[in-house]
Amino acid sequence: MTPDIMVSVAADVDVLVARQKARALAATLHFSPSELTLIATAISEIARNILLYAGRGEIVLRIVEQLRRRGIIVIARDQGPGIADTEQAMVDGYSTSGGLGLGLPGAKRLMDEFEVVSAPDRGTTITMIKWES
Amino acid sequence: MRSPILKQNNVLIASVQGELTDAELGQLRDELVQSARRHRSTGVIIDVTMLDVMDSYAARTLRGITQVTRLLGATSVVAGIQPEVAFAMAQLGLRLTGTTTALDLEEALALLADRERGGRPPDDP
Amino acid sequence: MAKTGAADLSNLLGSAEMAAITAEELEQRLKFLELGAADEERLTSVNDLARRYADSVIDDFYQHLLSFEDASAFFANSQTLERVKNMQKEYFLRLTQGNYDLAYSQNRLRIGAIHEQIGLPVKSYLGMYNFYLRAVAARLSEAFPTEPDRVLAIFLSLTKLTFLDIGLAIDTYIFSRERTILEQQRAIQDLPTPVLPFREGMLLVPIIGLIDARRARSLTEQLLGAIRSERAKVVIIDITGVQAVDSQVANHLVQTIEAARLMGARAILAGISPEIAETMVRLGIEADRFATVGDLQSAIDLADRFLGYRLTKEDGEAAAIS
Repeated sequence: MTPDIMVSVAADVDVLVARQKARALAATLHFSPSELTLIATAISEIARNILLYAGRGEIVLRIVEQLRRRGIIVIARDQGPGIADTEQAMVDGYSTSGGLGLGLPGAKRLMDEFEVVSAPDRGTTITMIKWES
Repeated sequence: MRSPILKQNNVLIASVQGELTDAELGQLRDELVQSARRHRSTGVIIDVTMLDVMDSYAARTLRGITQVTRLLGATSVVAGIQPEVAFAMAQLGLRLTGTTTALDLEEALALLADRERGGRPPDDP
Repeated sequence: MAKTGAADLSNLLGSAEMAAITAEELEQRLKFLELGAADEERLTSVNDLARRYADSVIDDFYQHLLSFEDASAFFANSQTLERVKNMQKEYFLRLTQGNYDLAYSQNRLRIGAIHEQIGLPVKSYLGMYNFYLRAVAARLSEAFPTEPDRVLAIFLSLTKLTFLDIGLAIDTYIFSRERTILEQQRAIQDLPTPVLPFREGMLLVPIIGLIDARRARSLTEQLLGAIRSERAKVVIIDITGVQAVDSQVANHLVQTIEAARLMGARAILAGISPEIAETMVRLGIEADRFATVGDLQSAIDLADRFLGYRLTKEDGEAAAIS
């Protein structure tokens, strides 16, 4: 298996790095150009969330294989303030920073699997997977 | 990466060259607005043909540009959103409501010229 | 329809996809035909006899078969003919060996599958059984000239068994036909939705039949790509032929329309059925997000207006075009 790719997110240029690396890794799998864009876009949203709410964090990219299909998994971690109500955060329109509030639910729509684990002062870990079609 | 802003008569054209950081996008917005005021432009075209990802921040920034330039009396057009980007935006729910869109720079210029002549195309939904 | 001559029969024997029969089902059929131990005994009692006349029966059969043009086409290759003859001989001998169990039935099914695959019509296959029965009847009478009752009893047992075989053979044929139909249906489902350049700057997308998530996705990709390559400013999506859509597809359609707008093309949705209208209302899709019209003609008229086209009729009278 190919090794993990880790991108440290601390400045807004890292958002670009994260999505470029994700696109490059995903391109080694069987994704259409459309799907590559969806993956890069989802990562852009999540990476920006890290900057906005936690200031810094990291994104890990990995190829996974399950039952003879492959996919790309994205794990975004930060030690920020955490989300008090993760269920609420997944509802369209919710955001405490005054933005459009599209971050999490939007990213979820673009990917196949999506999970957010977070608690106040415990940081946030978002895991998303897109499978080859 | 700097995005050059060109002037063609009363129209300003900003071509986004590839990936821009948030700071660079914000910078572009400020420069465009300044130029539009200085030159009393009636049209502003933001050409995003080279943009391969449009996320909510970029969409917000674009909305900001169009809103401000409208206040300055200019019509803004976002041109050149690529098929994959358009679809990702639609899935994300980034509709760019109230922003005029065009297939590419050529169409955008034609659209603005049409408006200048007074043939207003029907309003966008 | 013949795929013969070159057909490698030994390969076909290994083919996994064919009709199957369960032990319970076989049990039912044996009961229905009233094929039991007594029949088995009668048939095995003439096994030696069968071995003696097998070759001549087979030879006679093929002589008969090959005298017909349409049948002889299937056995043009002499190698094929030899193989098939040997198979038939085995088959024939098996009839009097008893043990008409699941293995027997599965073997019969496999042989039927092979004949179906080489394209042999049902009538020829059934004709073969008929020939056997008559040939065997004649041989039996010869062998037991003073025991007509015995001959009849054996013959009736043989008839039961051949009808079991015929039933299995027909199952095979039906199974193959149904599988072909299924494959064709799938192929139709997989046909891409056409995106038709209609007038300059206008695209027409007629959607027919069932539309599932996969077709919807393919439609979007095609449509957005066509907007770029055809430089379309208006897209008419005609769903007159679509009865209903699930919420996933409805949402997908709306997203496609919005993506088209981001590319500078406006969409007109034509032919929304009452059911689809209800689905959209239920999903909270506002009617003002895109233009909707009742039928295709209205859509074209509206599209013409957007693009600044006006249709005039040439009839000798001067018509003002502004």
